[in-house]
Amino acid sequence: MRYRTILGIVVSAVLAWCVPVTAGAQLKKMNDADMSKVAAQGGIYLSGDITLNENGGPLQNAYFGACTDTTKHCGARIAVQMKQNGGWLVLDDLRGKFSFQGLTIRTRKITSGFGGDGALFNRDVLEIGLPNVVQFDNVSMNIAASSTSRPTDAGFQQTDLFSVQMQGKVTMQGNLLVFPDGNP
Amino acid sequence: MRKAVYIGGLLVLALARSASAHLAALSDKELSSVQGGGVGMVMENFVFEHGTDVQNGQVFKIGGIKSSTGEAVNITVNKLYIARAGSNYGTNLQPVNLGRLINPYTIDLLNGDNIGIPGKAVLQIAAPTKVAASVGYDCLDPAAVAGSGTCSSRPATATYANGERPDIGIQMNVQVGTNAAHNLNIQAKSAVIDGSYLRLWGDDTNHRLVAQFKLNFYTPELSISSCDLSGTSCGSTIFMKNFQLELAMGNNLQPMYLDVDGTGNFVFQIQDIPKPAAGMIAADGKLADSDATTWNYYNDYYTNPEYRSNLKIGDFSVGAQDFGSAEVSGLLIQHLKITTHDLAP
Repeated sequence: MRYRTILGIVVSAVLAWCVPVTAGAQLKKMNDADMSKVAAQGGIYLSGDITLNENGGPLQNAYFGACTDTTKHCGARIAVQMKQNGGWLVLDDLRGKFSFQGLTIRTRKITSGFGGDGALFNRDVLEIGLPNVVQFDNVSMNIAASSTSRPTDAGFQQTDLFSVQMQGKVTMQGNLLVFPDGNP
Repeated sequence: MRKAVYIGGLLVLALARSASAHLAALSDKELSSVQGGGVGMVMENFVFEHGTDVQNGQVFKIGGIKSSTGEAVNITVNKLYIARAGSNYGTNLQPVNLGRLINPYTIDLLNGDNIGIPGKAVLQIAAPTKVAASVGYDCLDPAAVAGSGTCSSRPATATYANGERPDIGIQMNVQVGTNAAHNLNIQAKSAVIDGSYLRLWGDDTNHRLVAQFKLNFYTPELSISSCDLSGTSCGSTIFMKNFQLELAMGNNLQPMYLDVDGTGNFVFQIQDIPKPAAGMIAADGKLADSDATTWNYYNDYYTNPEYRSNLKIGDFSVGAQDFGSAEVSGLLIQHLKITTHDLAP
């Protein structure tokens, strides 16, 4: 078994040598004239939905379980420790669905507008077009402070600070323009 | 086992060889022209709105809070909006720009040596910066013109309808226990947060994340009103005209930090300034008789306006009563510690 594994590694090592050679055989340099005929896509248009723990996560234990079991927590948990050996700030029981249609991503050159700033700016930006409306379905989360990262750890104590529940359509219109800025 | 390690080494060599074929060394001259940078962000034609409309399946609730007597506090957010100035308290939402292309919102990694946090890399999330009064705009005046103040964000004009100063508002129902719910509205017109930032860095000595937070908030009108649930019977509205808040939470000498204690309670603290060692500051308090470095350290701490918070309200009125102007300026936070306590039995 051990020798088979080693053989596998040898084969991958040989492959690593071969791949650049075979890849090189298929690539050709393009000259400027050819390159100028290539047109890229105008951008990306995204639609979809993101569902977090609709029925519960993969963990099944004393704390986490299916959403049908009211004695258990079924949402996701994100814990952040801001001090060595300190407690944890927790985003707990995070679940729900976000649906959107028409999130766009493209590059754009800005040379005008923005009350005169566009002409001064005169550069390319990455434009993320917000989808106008995002549908929230049963999105909920708890903000909490906890003594341990996992609720199954010894000495677990948690204080739920507050919870947020969102449902329905959220209007988010506009374009987020992202570009390099600042100091080295 | 030795064989496996050897073969692994070969693999690394093979990859290194193929990679080196595509990379060329940069000369010092070339390298010096390379500039790293942060990310600038501007919102164009932005409108945000969310609220509660139960008939149409719209819900936005904040819960899990308890009053001091242990009763549940339920907050239903009826409307939360960010839109162009002139929204008439959120009834007419039009797009606004946030940030300027030549002075955007930024996320950047700063050299701590340049901002008084020596030897640290500092992550900064910042609003547009303040600018010289010769080119800036008055922070409060919704009709400000260039050269009237230090804010960079411009108000809307006939030729630039969006402007960069949004109306921001929240309308919510607050219900404590079984008491009748009340409607609380907080709205700011033509708001500006130029010069605000959040800086984060690591404290090696105490192995924790520390921060410096500066919040500048200027609005020509901040109003707070309370109504019954139907919204028809309202109490007097509190109007704060020409509201200016410059809040400094933590600084490089006494950073603020967030933590959770061993019992799972949240702690927010601004560290106190260390006491000078005995004999470093003379009894007469003068520089000539004191240790110069120590004296300058405390002199900077007590005189630097960046460390101080200010609140100015041009005109404060409740209903028909006018209380005139109010000002708290030069407030220095020497020590602050807030700990949450669980009221649940």
